[in-house]
Amino acid sequence: MPVALITGASAGLGYELADTLADDGWDLVIDARGRPRLDAAAARFAGRATVTALSGDIADPAHRDALVTAIESYGRLDLLVHNASTLGPSPLPTVADLPGDALARVVQVNLIAPAALTAALLPLLAAGSGTVIGISSDAAVEHYPGWGAYGASKAALDHLLGTLGVENPDLHVYAVDPGDMRTEMHQAAFPGEDISDRPEPASVVPALVHLVQEQPPSGRYRAADWQPSGRARAVSA
Amino acid sequence: MTLLTARPTTVLRSPDDSTATAPPEHRGLARDQVRLLVATPTGLTHTRFAALPDHLDSGDLLVVNNSATRAAELDVVTDDGEPVVMHLATELDAGRWVVELRTAPAADKPILDAVPGTGYCGPIGIRITLRQAYPEPGSSPTGCGSRLWLADIDGPADVAAALPAIGRPIAYGYLRDRFPLADYQTVFATTDGSAEMPSAARPFSGGLVARLVAGGVRIAPITLHTGVSSQEAGEAPQPEWRAVPDGTADLVNHTRAVGGRVIAVGTTAARALESAVGRDGAVAGATGWTGHIIEPAHPVQVIDGMITGWHNPDASHLLLVEQVAGAELTQRAYDAAVAARYLWHEFGDSGLLLRR
Repeated sequence: MPVALITGASAGLGYELADTLADDGWDLVIDARGRPRLDAAAARFAGRATVTALSGDIADPAHRDALVTAIESYGRLDLLVHNASTLGPSPLPTVADLPGDALARVVQVNLIAPAALTAALLPLLAAGSGTVIGISSDAAVEHYPGWGAYGASKAALDHLLGTLGVENPDLHVYAVDPGDMRTEMHQAAFPGEDISDRPEPASVVPALVHLVQEQPPSGRYRAADWQPSGRARAVSA
Repeated sequence: MTLLTARPTTVLRSPDDSTATAPPEHRGLARDQVRLLVATPTGLTHTRFAALPDHLDSGDLLVVNNSATRAAELDVVTDDGEPVVMHLATELDAGRWVVELRTAPAADKPILDAVPGTGYCGPIGIRITLRQAYPEPGSSPTGCGSRLWLADIDGPADVAAALPAIGRPIAYGYLRDRFPLADYQTVFATTDGSAEMPSAARPFSGGLVARLVAGGVRIAPITLHTGVSSQEAGEAPQPEWRAVPDGTADLVNHTRAVGGRVIAVGTTAARALESAVGRDGAVAGATGWTGHIIEPAHPVQVIDGMITGWHNPDASHLLLVEQVAGAELTQRAYDAAVAARYLWHEFGDSGLLLRR
């Protein structure tokens, strides 16, 4: 059984991807900060897949160690999805009003944690020519008022993963902009607004599955460019 | 009758729709392919029992019960010709047994209104005579009648030896069929004497044991012959006969000394081990009856985890699991098992709860 580690899998895109992979014969290691929702998610995947659920903060080194230990008990890692991330304060502050500790927290969760986790798991990933996916955002490329901390952290993650791909030509390393989705994080970015016109996160899962299956060149991709009849094209940041 | 004063804190939803109604082999599964929930302080894993070696470390010690299951259920009739189902719970001495009376034909309900001196005729000419309520008259928690009796069993043959021919395994109404005695044996079953299967070890297969051993996991036996499990609410476990070999005691003490984990396979193994802990905190070989109950007043001293099936919210069983794994982890594990629809009862799915 191929093994996937998906961070932030109790809700949203992470949950939907895990749900699909469980059906496709993958074994899963998932995490999230909130234990009850994570346990409930794991219970729904159980029976279809072997699933390990470890609750914790991805920015906590001890929690990352627990994830690595869990993966090592499986003996392989085929897919690592950096999906857990934080938006920072809501409503989104301008750069002028951005508290330093809030920026530090965003960078910890969105950049430093996935970098450290990737490094710790690189031997197992390399052994199986695995795939690494970082969930990015168009805020990593465009400039939207209030999105400075988040966008900067995602731009940095994109860059880091791009470098990882160059350094490890046998790995398949992608930064993926999923587009706007009807998620709790997106709602937090637009408090009080109706976001029901945004697509469900499940709509993005086929693009991620295609990346894993078809293994195009490492790079940055937009899920919206992935048409059922065609191929996504790598876009430069 | 000893009543438990402590109560478990774990709250369960009734798992009526998640009953294992047949052994896994009769459901198309090998015995080690039942589901396994691994619960540790860091998280939960839903997997198959065959993956157990992935969750243990070299140097961990599994303590298993090698008691074999008897065909302890007999059809008997009263001198008035009334059919009764009798469960032979425990042989105290030659010819002297603890028996449980249940309604014919399916043993659905306990019979509480028997009186001393009542006689029953059984197969091959055996005769059973009730002597007194067990463990003592008037000791039912309901204060009314008794389902357990001291009884003398006379006959042309050693009843225990004859049971394979004249009895059948004790079975409860949630099973979809009668299953042969072989379905009630674990791979460790070598010593005849349990009224009901020590079921926690049932998912082990010979191949799985080999993989565990090859990975450095140690396995050591105890013997504890189970009585009947149909405890009434709040009733403490009956005294049970157990043997903890010196070699097993040595391995437990060694495992603890070098930092390995001691994992009891089932409540019987847990009870046997903890009943053999001396004042110095070390386990010593022990043979005989134990009334030891693991509860808050008598917390576990040597066990770091346990393998257990999923059972009805029986107070003494849950109290024991909570003492081993902690109330919070126990609640989390039971919640997850209910949410993921693990199968309950002796032929169902399994759990590995580790406090470290």
